[in-house]
Amino acid sequence: MSEQGASVETTPSEPTAPSTWRRLWDSLDERLGLKGLQYPIPEHANKLAYSLGGLTLITFVLMVATGIYLTQFYNPDPAVAHESVRRIITSVSFGKFIRGFHYWGAMAMIVLIGLHLLRVFVSGSFKRPREANWLFGVVLAGITATLFFTGTVLKWDQESLEALEHNIEIGKLLGRFGFWFSPTFGGIPFLTRLYVVHIAVLPFLFTIVVSIHLLLVKRLKMAPSPFRKGPEPEPTRPFTKHLAELGALALVLVGVLTILAVLAPPPHGPAPIEGIEITKPPWPMLWVYPIEDWVGVAGILWATLAIFIALFLVPFVDRTPERSPRRRLPMMIAAGVVVATIIGLIVYAAVQPVASHIGMG
Amino acid sequence: MSEGTHVHRRWLARSLAVVGALALGPASVALAHEGEENVPAITDVQEAIAILAEHPGVFPPAEVAEHAIDKVGDALESNDTRGVLLDLVSEAKDALVAGKTDDALTLLERSIGACPGAPVIEPQDAPRAPPSLSSPCPSVAHIQVLDRTPVGGTEEPVLIAVGAVLILAGLGLVRRIR
Repeated sequence: MSEQGASVETTPSEPTAPSTWRRLWDSLDERLGLKGLQYPIPEHANKLAYSLGGLTLITFVLMVATGIYLTQFYNPDPAVAHESVRRIITSVSFGKFIRGFHYWGAMAMIVLIGLHLLRVFVSGSFKRPREANWLFGVVLAGITATLFFTGTVLKWDQESLEALEHNIEIGKLLGRFGFWFSPTFGGIPFLTRLYVVHIAVLPFLFTIVVSIHLLLVKRLKMAPSPFRKGPEPEPTRPFTKHLAELGALALVLVGVLTILAVLAPPPHGPAPIEGIEITKPPWPMLWVYPIEDWVGVAGILWATLAIFIALFLVPFVDRTPERSPRRRLPMMIAAGVVVATIIGLIVYAAVQPVASHIGMG
Repeated sequence: MSEGTHVHRRWLARSLAVVGALALGPASVALAHEGEENVPAITDVQEAIAILAEHPGVFPPAEVAEHAIDKVGDALESNDTRGVLLDLVSEAKDALVAGKTDDALTLLERSIGACPGAPVIEPQDAPRAPPSLSSPCPSVAHIQVLDRTPVGGTEEPVLIAVGAVLILAGLGLVRRIR
C-alpha cells in the first residue's frame, strides 16, 4: 500500500505513460531477457562491410523459407523431377517468383559469404584469439558452396545432369571414400539422395556451425578496426542498433532479390539427355572449368581442395598481431592474386566454347 | 569524412585496379584462341548442340542458326569423324538452313548417339563414350514429348513495385538509424 501511495505522489512528475511498443518490449524482456542484446559493440561494426556476415545469415533464412515452399511441389524422382520444376514455373501460384527468389538468393549468399570472408581477411579479424572462428567461417563457406551445387542439380535439366556426372566422376577419384557418390549406393536414385542432402543435411549442418560461429563472436567480441588511429577508445553502440540496421539492410536485400526474381527469372533448360556434354556450370563454379580443360575432371577436386586448404591455413600463416593490411602486404598480394586468378578464370571460361570432359573427346 | 575512411577507399581502389588487371590477363588469352582445323567432329557437333540448346532467346534466332551452321560445317570438314554419323549431321545442316532448328537439334543429338527425350534415371547408365549409332532412338513418342521451350519472361509489375518500395524503405531506415 505504501508503495502505491509513493507511486501516486510521483505521478505528476512523469510526462506520459509508456507507449504500447515500450510496454510490449518490457513485457517480452521480462520473459525473454531481450535487454541482454543491448550489449555494447564498437561503432565500426555498424558499417556495411561488417554487416556482410549478418546479411549472409538472413539470406540463409530466406533460402529456407522459399525452399520450404518449393519442396511442396518439387518431386525428387528423376523420372519426373524436370517436369515438376516446369510445373512450379508454369502452374504453381507464385511458383516462378519463389523459384527466382530462391535462385537469386543463392547467388547473393555466395557473393555475401565470399565478401564476408574477404573483409575478415583484409581487416585481420581472424587473428588471435579468433582463429577457431575463422575456421568455422570457412566451414560455413564450404557448406554454402555445397548447398549451391546440390541446388543446381535438383532442377534436372542438361546442366544438372552434367553437374551430377562430374560429381560421380569426382567420387570415383576419391576411391573407397567416394562410395556415397556412387549411383549404386543406397538403393534410391542419386538425385533423390542429393535432394535430402540439400533440404535437410546441409541446412542442419549450417545451423549448427553458424550457431557456434555466432556464440564465438559474442564471447570473443568484435575485432578492433585496423584503420582506427589514436589512443582514445572507440565509441560503442548497443548491439540492438546493429540488429535494427541489419533488418533495414535485409529489406534492401529482399527488394533487390524480388526485382531480380521478376525481371531475370532463372533459366530452366530442356530435359537432360545422356551422352552429350554441352553446358558450362553457373558462374560461381565456372572458375574450375578451364582447369578441367587443362587437367581433366580431377582438376575440379584439386583446385577446390587447394582453395579450402589455403583458407584453413590463413590463421596459421598470418600469425603476427598486426591487423593493418598496409603492414601485411605479402598476405594482401597473395590474396589479390588468388582473387584475380579466380575472376580471370571465370572470364576465360565464359568466353571459351563448351568442351567435353567426361570420357568423350 | 574521416582519415580512416580515406585510407580505406584508397586501399579499395588500389586493390580493385590490381585485381582487374590480373583478371583481364587470362581472358585476353581466351579471346585470342583461334585455329580449330583439327578439332574432332564430335566436339564441333557438341558445340553446335550447345549453341542451339542454350542460346535461344539470348541471341537473335538467325544469329544462333548461323553460328550453329558454322560449327556443323566444321564437323563435316573435320579430319577426325570418329563417333559421328555424318549423314545425320548433313541432314541437320539442311534443317538449319531451312530454319528448322528443333529438327536440327534432334538430328545432331542423334548423330553422336544421344537419345533426346529418353528419361534419365541414373547418370551411370549414360553411354559416356560415343554410343552405338544404331540404337533404336529416338522414337516418334520421344521426340513428341521433348519440351525445348525455354521458360522465362514475366509480367508482375506489382512485385517489381513491392521490391522497389522495400529497397527505398530499407535505405531510408538505414539512414535514419545511422
